[in-house]
Amino acid sequence: MTEVFVNMGQISSFKTQGILTTVGLGSCVGVALYDDLAKVGVMGHIFLPQSREKDAGAPPGKYADTGIPAMIDEAIRLGARKSRLKAKLAGGANLFPNLSANSTSIGMKNIKAVTGHLEEHGIAIIGKDVAGGHGRKMRFFVDTGVVTVTAIGKEAMEI
Amino acid sequence: MRDTKLDFLKELANIGTGHATTALSQMLSGRLFQLVVPDAQMLPFDKAADYVGGSEQVIVGIFVVVSGDVRGHMAFLLPLDSALVLVRLLTGDDSGEVHELARSALQELGNIMITSYLNALAKMTDLLMAPSVPGVAVDMAGAVWQSVLAGAEVANEVTVIRTEFFADGESIEGHILFLPDDDDFGKIAHSLGLEEM
Repeated sequence: MTEVFVNMGQISSFKTQGILTTVGLGSCVGVALYDDLAKVGVMGHIFLPQSREKDAGAPPGKYADTGIPAMIDEAIRLGARKSRLKAKLAGGANLFPNLSANSTSIGMKNIKAVTGHLEEHGIAIIGKDVAGGHGRKMRFFVDTGVVTVTAIGKEAMEI
Repeated sequence: MRDTKLDFLKELANIGTGHATTALSQMLSGRLFQLVVPDAQMLPFDKAADYVGGSEQVIVGIFVVVSGDVRGHMAFLLPLDSALVLVRLLTGDDSGEVHELARSALQELGNIMITSYLNALAKMTDLLMAPSVPGVAVDMAGAVWQSVLAGAEVANEVTVIRTEFFADGESIEGHILFLPDDDDFGKIAHSLGLEEM
């Protein structure tokens, strides 16, 4: 199966089958959107919560506020129905907890922003492995909708 | 103009890292380090993630926020093997794992190196550059580096100055990266009597 690596700020998608992978999720949040009937999967790799004027030319997937709508549009373009979309999240960690409290870390802000924008669009989050202090790798198998998360020194888990 | 700026940053990196490795050498009873020619780049955001390779390899990352007249972020990254050698030389711990004591030894070592680097630049420019308490992470290189970039809230481009060094006789290598805020770069140039870059 084809595997595509989704870098910071990018949005990638598959219909029917394919693996969408993001490595090195620290404070970034990996978002998997899935329509299990249409077998459409979209992955985003969100860098920061809120788009900024000084970064006007940024790809929409870089920020949660522009990334979530862009991911939904991409899913619909591939034949998904918005009402059937479900989401899974990984990442949003705080690797340097002595520099910022866990509650105000960039990771936590990313998680809150992504969660808020998904809620606005009525998309349920059906699996997640977020926050904490460690990095993650996330793989999204579009044929089944399975998402696995691996971290250093931990068993791989399915979310 | 861009090239001049980058050459200038390389020179700064050379001086900063020279002082940092001298400090490290003093902690390791005079062990000598060699510097690799520094690299200074203005990376577009979409190339920034790949700048530190081996994204799934475990590294030790020490990260500080720089405040004062010149603001920015600094990171000291080293492969796990190198970190373990340093821990053994500094503490005698050869368990091959990063325990709590090892973590504080690495934090202190990172602190001394980063402070030496910044002090050298501060003295040269007469500008204040003060590091925060360092954070330490032992994790996938990609996750550590990505968190540094997010901490710096990188917009469309990031200036990265990197120096590599390695030790004679022991397998120790590391990178020191300085990400000065763009707004404050002019201050450094100005303080050294250079024209606006």
